[in-house]
Amino acid sequence: MMQHFPVLAIFALFLGAFVSSLIRNKTARNGVVVLSVLTSFGLLCALVKPVMLEGEIISYWLGGWKPVADYAIGIGLEVDALSLFFGLVVGLAVIVSALYSFRYLEYDDAQSKYYTLYLILGGGVLGLVLSGDLFNIYVMVEIMTFAAVALTAYRNFMPGALEAAFKYLVIGSIGSTCILVGTAMLYLQYHTLNLAQLSALISGTAMPSSILAFGLLIVGFACKAFLVPYHPIAADAHGTAPSSISVIISGVLTKTGVYGIIRVCYCVFRAMDQSAVQVFLVLLGTISMFVCVTMALAQHDFKRLLAFHSISQIGYVITAIGLSTTFGLASGLYHAMNHTIFKGLLFLCAGCVLHQTGTTKLDELGGLSKRMPKTCTLFLIGAASISGIPPFNGFASKWLIYQAVYQRASETGNLFYVFVVLVALVTSVLTLASFVKVAQSVFFGQLPEKLKDTQEAPAAMRAPMWIFGGLCILTGLFPAVVVNYFTGPAAAAALNAGSYIDAMMGAGYAGRLSTVPVTVPALQINTLGFYDPITWIVLLLTVLLAFTIVSLMGGRARGARIQGEAIDPKYDTFFGGEAGEYSQVGGADLFWGFKHNLRHYFSFMHGAHSGVVNDYALWGITAVAVTVAYMFLFL
Amino acid sequence: MSEQVRDVAAVEQETANIQPPENPPKKVYRERHVIARTGADIFSPIALVMGMCVILHGNISPGGGFQGGVLVASVVVMIYLAYGYKMAMRTFNLEVLHNCESVAAILYIVIAMIGILSGGVFGQNVFYQIGETGELFSGGTISYMNFAVGFKVLTGIAFLILMMLSILSPDAEIEGEVSEVLDE
Repeated sequence: MMQHFPVLAIFALFLGAFVSSLIRNKTARNGVVVLSVLTSFGLLCALVKPVMLEGEIISYWLGGWKPVADYAIGIGLEVDALSLFFGLVVGLAVIVSALYSFRYLEYDDAQSKYYTLYLILGGGVLGLVLSGDLFNIYVMVEIMTFAAVALTAYRNFMPGALEAAFKYLVIGSIGSTCILVGTAMLYLQYHTLNLAQLSALISGTAMPSSILAFGLLIVGFACKAFLVPYHPIAADAHGTAPSSISVIISGVLTKTGVYGIIRVCYCVFRAMDQSAVQVFLVLLGTISMFVCVTMALAQHDFKRLLAFHSISQIGYVITAIGLSTTFGLASGLYHAMNHTIFKGLLFLCAGCVLHQTGTTKLDELGGLSKRMPKTCTLFLIGAASISGIPPFNGFASKWLIYQAVYQRASETGNLFYVFVVLVALVTSVLTLASFVKVAQSVFFGQLPEKLKDTQEAPAAMRAPMWIFGGLCILTGLFPAVVVNYFTGPAAAAALNAGSYIDAMMGAGYAGRLSTVPVTVPALQINTLGFYDPITWIVLLLTVLLAFTIVSLMGGRARGARIQGEAIDPKYDTFFGGEAGEYSQVGGADLFWGFKHNLRHYFSFMHGAHSGVVNDYALWGITAVAVTVAYMFLFL
Repeated sequence: MSEQVRDVAAVEQETANIQPPENPPKKVYRERHVIARTGADIFSPIALVMGMCVILHGNISPGGGFQGGVLVASVVVMIYLAYGYKMAMRTFNLEVLHNCESVAAILYIVIAMIGILSGGVFGQNVFYQIGETGELFSGGTISYMNFAVGFKVLTGIAFLILMMLSILSPDAEIEGEVSEVLDE
């Protein structure tokens, strides 16, 4: 019975999509949507015990077309711990976002079409991560991309919505085409599309066509994860899509790209022992995390800023994956999961702000903590998580990623990895900086006259957000539990290509056909230890004490007024304890010194991101060419 | 309430206030050329029968649900070419087409699940022992899944074509003012 659960989980979503489009009654339709997402998630949860904890791998041949004479002729589903891990992350995000959108979309029309597309999108993503067939993965990529494009343009009365959808369509098609061509190359060479059989046949045979296919597949999935240079479309898409869809695009669609890269590099090609591939992925992740965080710092729109941060965090994940150690992979998956949780929470906060005030422009907002204190609490949890502040989950996973990169640096003695750690730390600091900016310009600071009557977001929207909010705290407090029972098994499954092949193609198949023996490195986690919350609280208190002493004993008398020469008090130097002065400090005013010093870099980036889809397509094609050339040069 | 939503509500208010004109102009359809009309009259039934035949024989001959469905849906284009946009929109009910498409997709999934209920796996072919090999109804549930695909494609493509026509609304302006002069 259990082996039917994956296929039923996928088709519960598709069935819900079509049934909900038939129902006119709003309450009944919402009921169908909830039922289908809960059924899907419940079926996946039932698989946690056998697959995650006991290491079983579920193989399923659709229509009963089992392999004939060791050749896969049918479409297979294969669920190992890695697939199930991503499936659970997807299922969770789909549930929370669906619950949120019931109230969030109350002013929109055509809701029936929204839920149909939404469930098709969820089903497509779930089908992708649970599939064991390369062409099936391509089909699911297309389903999810087109559903996401349509949903990006759902609020087509918003300026730029159709343009964003068009850009997403064009640039997304580059990625889809790369995946299709890569699949076709592999099929020409090896006459099979099954991932397990491909993995057995490819190992050790570095044909030119398989190298080309490898490069194209990596670029294709990197495009689906919006890594540099595909990042500008994500910002446009998130800026105009409804927030409930932004959660799916950033938390779920980018994860399919991550999943694809892991599956292709670790399992199908088993190429992670090549240092060229490691360096490529680490470099890709590092560039993505740095470029996107600086782009985020310069944004003036809440959701566009979050969109760039989203890709910056995916950069961390890709960096950790590229380390090719079990520990690195486990910490990368941990961060991928945390990214879905905290980024989803932040996008839903942006949705609350949009729902209550009608805008997400940072320059028009301010002081909302007095009007929306409960939303503000949730936002602070999310912002602290993404910035890596203990005890929230972002800190725990970033800490593990730093550890993993350091460990790699000490193993190889390569200065490149030390540089990567530095960039990762700087990125984390800049993330905190830009969330200070968001918090200052949306929730704190002066309340504009226009927003005097803003109400708190309705409880029906805040309740789903607390699912994410609670998980931010829980997964941050118990990192050891998450890694040992959740991401650790997933990482081990990704590295264990041998049992992946044998589960699908019959026992002994991998040993018979594979020229390279499959070795599974043991999972070593406790190298530097998990962080200790008590120590951090002591450190925090010490620093706070130091600030208090300086503020109490420092320069000016308490309550003194500043005798500044500047026209606006915001240019004065405050020391602590002085009397308050009225000053409108906008989000763009913060960090102006930092931005001024880097003005050449920022103006270059500003000019480069022209918003013209032709430019972005050119970047995308260049990335394809560079990747393929790199693979041919170094593999 | 958000700003955009207020704007939309305002527009709706305005459009509600517009009264229909006292004497609406008589509805006149643009008469297409006689060759187009005759062609459509002859070929539409052939396309319908041919498409249905291809769908039904999907299990025993080349073709299948997708190809047959597209053949059937081509009738929409023929009617548009021969009788114009308004006639095409009057002939087909978008709502019914949309609902039929959903029903077809549900049917596909339900039929595929018979495989699980009968002890096999999803999409497994059961009941194929009924009928002689080569007969029309001898394919088991796979052929019924194929019918569902055909139904889904014919309604879906017809819906798509009508949507495209209504967005382009190519001769909405010509229709309504031009009389039967064009027929000559």
